[in-house]
Amino acid sequence: MYHIALKMLLGNRSKYVVLVSGLTFATLLMTQQCAIFCGLMLWTTGSLQNMRSKIWVTDPKVEQVNEVRQLRDTDVGRVRSVEGTAWAVPLFWGLQQAKLANGTFKQIQLVGLESATLVGRPHQMVAGRIEDVRLPNAVVIDELAILRLSAGRAKPIGLGDTFEINDREARVVGVCRTAKSFFGMPYIFTTYDQALQFAPKTRKMLSFILAEPADGWTVEATARSIERTTGLRAYTEKDFFWATIRWYFRNTGIPMSFGITILLGFFVGVAVSGQTFYTFVLENLRHLGALKAMGASDGLLARMLILQALTVGLIGYGLGIGLTCLFGVLVLKKGEPPFMLPYQVPLGALGAVLFICIFAALLGIRQIRKLEPAIVFRG
Amino acid sequence: MAENKNNYAVHVRGVSKTFGSGLTAVAALKTVNFDAREGELLMIVGPSGCGKTTLLSTIAGTLQFDVGEIDVFGLALQKMTKSQTTTFRRQNIGFIFQEFHLIPALSAVENVSVPLLINGASRAIAEKKSHALLAQVGLEGRGHELPTNLSGGQQQRVAIARALVHEPRLIICDEPTSALDKENGARIMELLQRVARAPGRCVVVVTHDNRIFKYADRMTEMEDGRIARVHDIKDGQSPPFSPN
Ligand SMILES: Nc1ncnc2c1ncn2[C@@H]1O[C@H](COP(=O)(O)OP(=O)(O)OP(=O)(O)O)[C@@H](O)[C@H]1O
Ligand SMILES: [Mg+2]
Repeated sequence: MYHIALKMLLGNRSKYVVLVSGLTFATLLMTQQCAIFCGLMLWTTGSLQNMRSKIWVTDPKVEQVNEVRQLRDTDVGRVRSVEGTAWAVPLFWGLQQAKLANGTFKQIQLVGLESATLVGRPHQMVAGRIEDVRLPNAVVIDELAILRLSAGRAKPIGLGDTFEINDREARVVGVCRTAKSFFGMPYIFTTYDQALQFAPKTRKMLSFILAEPADGWTVEATARSIERTTGLRAYTEKDFFWATIRWYFRNTGIPMSFGITILLGFFVGVAVSGQTFYTFVLENLRHLGALKAMGASDGLLARMLILQALTVGLIGYGLGIGLTCLFGVLVLKKGEPPFMLPYQVPLGALGAVLFICIFAALLGIRQIRKLEPAIVFRG
Repeated sequence: MAENKNNYAVHVRGVSKTFGSGLTAVAALKTVNFDAREGELLMIVGPSGCGKTTLLSTIAGTLQFDVGEIDVFGLALQKMTKSQTTTFRRQNIGFIFQEFHLIPALSAVENVSVPLLINGASRAIAEKKSHALLAQVGLEGRGHELPTNLSGGQQQRVAIARALVHEPRLIICDEPTSALDKENGARIMELLQRVARAPGRCVVVVTHDNRIFKYADRMTEMEDGRIARVHDIKDGQSPPFSPN
């Protein structure tokens, strides 16, 4: 009887199209918005991806990676002497003003790497060598900086070109690739000591201490050891990542506004598909009644309805996910808007679509149970 | 299983059925006694609203009755649970409706195969048998057609094939010819007459259509929820009355 059920479904072309497109749209809306949200959350941890370190030591009050509370210079030495620490280096990180060739200003994220080790360096160089940041006034810029800092130049900014950071001349010795960050500002890498020269003087200039566990120590154990000994906060990379994401959940309206859109997608799916499937069942009630008179049990008819609902559900889901992936491919080429599709999102959407289908089928099944087979003799 | 008395296909004793309750109650069947025999085509006639469809529905097991006993080929309907009644219909009853009730999205062969599929047959076997049945009703080679591409008479023949395909013993027809012209009606009735004569079968036809009375072996006249008269009819003769 199951092929009969599918034929009945496909035989009603207009309902079938509405059902599939409703579920496609719901899937697209849910997964695409989730993916943008996940991408955005990933952006908030851009610094963690651009300056890799197993352990991040911060002021005890710091809750996320985009928040900087300066540490004392002596804290580096204190962390180095903690048991379980292989090494620890300072990192400067701060928003600074770059002055462009046409006289306008742009905000940049200045990163100062300890000059001996260059820990926290970008992983991928596109041009030049990272080691050259040790040269006087040298900086490595990212590809976004080429877009942002080239205004007023005949050619895009590149190796050997200069611009100003807070009235000091900076010379480009390399170009690197970075992950996008939430605030969308270019990353400029230099050495720690030169970063202190570029940045306006304040009493404390040390943003983070990057550390590595000693042999035989796990990152967690070393982090706890640092916290116990120094009273500073020591995040493992993973902890810092989730702490940052949690912070954005708690302190911004972003999850809420995305959540509303995602819920909207879900309810549109429920309403459109539930309603359409229900009218599909009502329109077929005469035939279902005839089947019932001919001895089809309620269970068989219910299974037929569930098959019909799941069929449109899975087709709509497949199309929706396909469209989301297409969107993702286009977006990842351009780099904007943010987009990340962890497997949990399609899985969750599948759950939602199945829920919608079962709900729609149940509405129909209720009608079937109430249906008197004797109606087939009535005109 | 009870013994099948006197070759009765259907044996109805003291059956009443009332729709609704209180002031709006309608007594559709009032202590009806009725029977149909194996190998006969029995017609039920009578004015509109006299309870013909109600009686047909009760013996087909699609409608529950209030009191009385109905035996169909020795099976006591009043003792059955709902799901037993469903199984009873599935195995024993062939339905032919005034409106044909073919499923428009299915081809003729698929429509005919439905009772077999409901009874658990495989698709291949069901469709093979359905093709054979369609050939028997004169629709050889039309199996792939959708109902909308068939004339009313052809659609009703598809419906007859569907009613016979699972070899039910009792075939129930409510106004099978009223949507058809004279010629098509006659063809349908000739078919049903042949079916009724097959051993162990019985065809019960409710009708208003006096053009087809001559096909009946016996005719049961209903009035106001009761059986008024039963007539035996000789081959080819008209009944000794004209209803309505
Ligand atoms: N489901 C129902 N609910 C309420 N009353 C009903 C129902 N079915 C039938 N009746 C009533 O029962 C009586 C008998 O109806 P039934 O349909 O059996 O008559 P009929 O002889 O088949 O009439 P017709 O020739 O018009 O088809 C009528 O008065 C009808 O209104
Ligand atoms: Mg009637």
